[in-house]
Amino acid sequence: MSTGEPGADEVVLAARRVGKVFKTFERAPGVLGVLRNFVARKEIEVAALADIDLVIRRGETVGLIGANGAGKTTLVKILTGIVPASSGEARLLGRDSFQLTDEEKRRLALVMGQKSQLWWDLPPIDSFQLLREIYSIPEECFRERVAAFTRMLDVEDRLKIQLRQLSLGQRMKMEIIGAFLHDPEVVFLDEPTIGLDLVSRETIRGFLVKLAEERGVTFVLTSHDLEDIEETCRRIVVLDSGRVAFDGDLDGLSRRVSGQRAVEVHVDPGAQLDEARLAEVLRQHGGEVGSRAADAVTILVPAEGIRGLMPALFDALPVRDLSVERQPLEHLVREIYSSSERSGAALPRSDEVEST
Amino acid sequence: MTALPLRVPRLILRSAGYEMRKRIQFRTGFFVREVLFGTVEPLIMLFVYGALYASAGGGDVVLGGWTFDEILRYVAGLLVVRKLIFHNRGIELSTEIFEGRVTKYLVMPLRYFTLLQGRFLQYTLLQVVIAGLVWAAGYGLVGDRWLVPVSPTAACQALVLVLMGSYCCFLLYFVINALAFWLDVVWSLLVMSWFLVNFTGGGAVPVSQMPEGLQRIFCALFPYWTITAPIELVMGRLETADFQRGVVVLALWLLALECLRRLVWQRGLARYVGAGM
Ligand SMILES: Nc1ncnc2c1ncn2[C@@H]1O[C@H](COP(=O)(O)OP(=O)(O)OP(=O)(O)O)[C@@H](O)[C@H]1O
Ligand SMILES: [Mg+2]
Repeated sequence: MSTGEPGADEVVLAARRVGKVFKTFERAPGVLGVLRNFVARKEIEVAALADIDLVIRRGETVGLIGANGAGKTTLVKILTGIVPASSGEARLLGRDSFQLTDEEKRRLALVMGQKSQLWWDLPPIDSFQLLREIYSIPEECFRERVAAFTRMLDVEDRLKIQLRQLSLGQRMKMEIIGAFLHDPEVVFLDEPTIGLDLVSRETIRGFLVKLAEERGVTFVLTSHDLEDIEETCRRIVVLDSGRVAFDGDLDGLSRRVSGQRAVEVHVDPGAQLDEARLAEVLRQHGGEVGSRAADAVTILVPAEGIRGLMPALFDALPVRDLSVERQPLEHLVREIYSSSERSGAALPRSDEVEST
Repeated sequence: MTALPLRVPRLILRSAGYEMRKRIQFRTGFFVREVLFGTVEPLIMLFVYGALYASAGGGDVVLGGWTFDEILRYVAGLLVVRKLIFHNRGIELSTEIFEGRVTKYLVMPLRYFTLLQGRFLQYTLLQVVIAGLVWAAGYGLVGDRWLVPVSPTAACQALVLVLMGSYCCFLLYFVINALAFWLDVVWSLLVMSWFLVNFTGGGAVPVSQMPEGLQRIFCALFPYWTITAPIELVMGRLETADFQRGVVVLALWLLALECLRRLVWQRGLARYVGAGM
């Protein structure tokens, strides 16, 4: 086997200066555009990742976050060997990710929120049987795991129904069961909770936490739901425009996050805001305007200022509706990025690196 | 951990079982696709040949070494052989590449090709049964005017050639499908390749009725040994020595196509983007 002694310090995954450039052709719209493309196509390079450095050790639980298009999925694809990196080197379980042998693949699992791992026309139990064959899972373990996992995820009575006839949440749970059947050491989950209700999300989080604790599974989870990350991961990596903008302990970060609140104030449509008063109120309570829409203002304020801010807001603005949330992910990502030590600019936009 | 030595055959079998279930799920579709498919062209052929021989004087006219009776039996043979040859709709690999459905197999400890081999096996098993039924139905209808093998040995030899050739087709379609890593017009290439296989194999005119020059070229290609040659074996126009030559030619093609398949797949994967994830 290519890996060293299994131990807590064993490096499971290592990326060194990994970059990815997608090459596509520009497709101009319309008939003329098609003709023009036919004569002279313009190749565009889309830089999705640049200089990613990442080391993950056995047993770590890593949350990968970032705005849409930040490169999370691309990074997962490279680390699992689905696509090759354009530059740099990614290693999983001691081997170049793109050259994984069956030996390493047996220890790996991938759950894709957007794509099914199981067979669409089969009931989950048949898919599981196929997986048992593929991963050579001993019959005994197989039966135990299916029973235990379906119980934990509360889908025992859905095993014999065709996958396509299951609800999104039930399907996702089956996908997760399928991924854990062969007792993988490293699991990648790309938005496993997308579109699921609160209860299902919580069940899945509980499942992941339990497996991480009991079996020491290393996992990398991407999600746009910060709560998913907070409840399952101990480490967090923030991607912004293809670069690592933050990599560190979740504890430190959540102190920063939980210290902030976003107050979304809806006012009567067309109402005139007293800007001067608003500014005055914000100054008193240490808040700032996060974003504005036609009839809504989002105010970011430290948690301790919220008690005083609320009544003042009602006085100052024609409030119709109001909600308080933890600082939303986008603000956080933006803040992390602007304060990150990395001095390099974000990746160039796709249209700046055209070549013919 | 060492993989069980029988894992791959077992996987092929299991995948074959899965494909079988998928395929016979819809009865009407099954009938139209598997039983009626490939019956129109032979009918047209009969019509054209009938007119041709009639205008040449009818009766016992011999054209390019073939009498009309022999042509009739050749067409009967085509009906059966066509059922056995792997068809490109059996692999939807190009769509799977476009839509990123290959992704899931790339992280599993198996070769995606193994699953497709399962599909080929399933296809072949089912088609052998269907071909047998088609042959029996024809025999029941027209009796001895139908293609009756000169000997059981000839029938077996023919089956071996057809199945080897069918596997060549399978590999060829795999290669063309895998071009989807580079191109987005794979579908028309597939249609063209089917047309070429059919024509060079004798699906429209028996190769041995074609001009000398063409015959010499086509005899070196696998389709001839997949379509015309097996039928002529069954008719008794070719013999065991020809069969042996056919096995050698087909084996060489198998080897070449398999190498090509590996090359295209390897190169293609490096360009895969795993869309839709
Ligand atoms: N096959 C491709 N061809 C061209 N560009 C691509 C391709 N795949 C991804 N990209 C680009 O790479 C960037 C990163 O995409 P990626 O899917 O990794 O983002 P993400 O962080 O997963 O976003 P999301 O949260 O929306 O899932 C995007 O700008 C995307 O447009
Ligand atoms: Mg994504």
